[in-house]
Amino acid sequence: VPEPLFRAGFRANKGPEDALSQADTDWSLLLAAAQQGDGAAYRAFLEAALPFARALARRRCPNEAEVEDVVQDSLLTLHRVRHTYEPGRPVQPWLAAIVARRAVDAARRRGRTASRELHDSGAYETFADPASNREEAGDAAQSLARMMAELTPKQKEALDLVKLKEMSLAEASAASGQSIPSLKVNVHRAIRRMRAALGRAESA
Amino acid sequence: VSERRTEALIAAIAADARPVRVLAPPSRRALVTLLPLAAMGGLAIWLLGDMHTLTGRYAGRENMMILELAATLATGLLAATGAFFLAVPGRSRAWLWAPLPPLLLWISLSGMGCWRDLVRHGSTGWRLGESRDCFLFILAASLLLGTPLVWRLSRAAPIEPMRVALLAGLGTAALSAFLLQFFHPFTITFMDLAMHFTAVAIVILIVAVGRRRTLGVG
Repeated sequence: VPEPLFRAGFRANKGPEDALSQADTDWSLLLAAAQQGDGAAYRAFLEAALPFARALARRRCPNEAEVEDVVQDSLLTLHRVRHTYEPGRPVQPWLAAIVARRAVDAARRRGRTASRELHDSGAYETFADPASNREEAGDAAQSLARMMAELTPKQKEALDLVKLKEMSLAEASAASGQSIPSLKVNVHRAIRRMRAALGRAESA
Repeated sequence: VSERRTEALIAAIAADARPVRVLAPPSRRALVTLLPLAAMGGLAIWLLGDMHTLTGRYAGRENMMILELAATLATGLLAATGAFFLAVPGRSRAWLWAPLPPLLLWISLSGMGCWRDLVRHGSTGWRLGESRDCFLFILAASLLLGTPLVWRLSRAAPIEPMRVALLAGLGTAALSAFLLQFFHPFTITFMDLAMHFTAVAIVILIVAVGRRRTLGVG
């Protein structure tokens, strides 16, 4: 393919090139060769461009699984429209447009899924050994800690003594110095507050 | 795991590296598509067009006529050319808006013409003229112009078919409306104008809704 070679060379002679546009020039040559049916050049191009595509996808996707989905969709699309690349032109805007398009599709898909499917957190408790489900336990501890953080020191103390350490009201009163009526009120308020916090967390 | 699958995908794709016919630059593809259509349209105007009534309708305001015709033609050409650019990944998105200025000019100038007639002729300016024929003319001409245009655009298998379809529809309809001016033996009213733009909208809608079938998979 003499023409793109010439054009790329012409561009290279124009001035000092930075690493990015040098990479683009190389990609341009490889992709032009791939259009002519050169499988080795095609593979070299795809492997060289993969990190670029991945970085673009990562900028637009919320998680790694979706990044890889978008990258794979983009590769398939790239293959289908490889005849639309114009030899001699920069590859990166061409490739970026393809990745951007597929990322938009993935986001739409995600929106549809979220609106029609339910998340069953229990479904993740797969293992008979309770210790294997630690991830969930960690979550529970964390949310309990978050709820506890909403309590006043006196409410926390009352809850700790009466409900967690299971002391009688008299023992708890002796241990904390709070009167029995104020212990009752604080336990009651603490539980009500935590219930409200739990409701917020679940509806969020 | 999925990264390894990506590697496998690359190997599979590279193994399928059949030679492809590289698409010419969008500007050249637009030219090659639009020139024969322009020749056809020019021939039709030359053989069948009614220049006398056209100039008669615009008697005393020839500049207005030229401006309105130019705006219509520019809308059509810019939209059709833009469709070729947007059919290829990575080209400027600005093409989507390129036909907007002449489109606004076209709409406002034809609206002004109708307003003038409304003031001069009173309530007859509201009557429905022979716009049914114009309606059918725009649809038929759009079919003739739009089919080769969409067929040529589909070669690029556009990744954003909606944008391409919008521009292709607008371009087709505007070029048809341009042709219509030369086959239009009467003064148009607001109702007629509404009919014209309804036809334009229908053409855009048909191309946009049928984009998957006509332009290939997004």
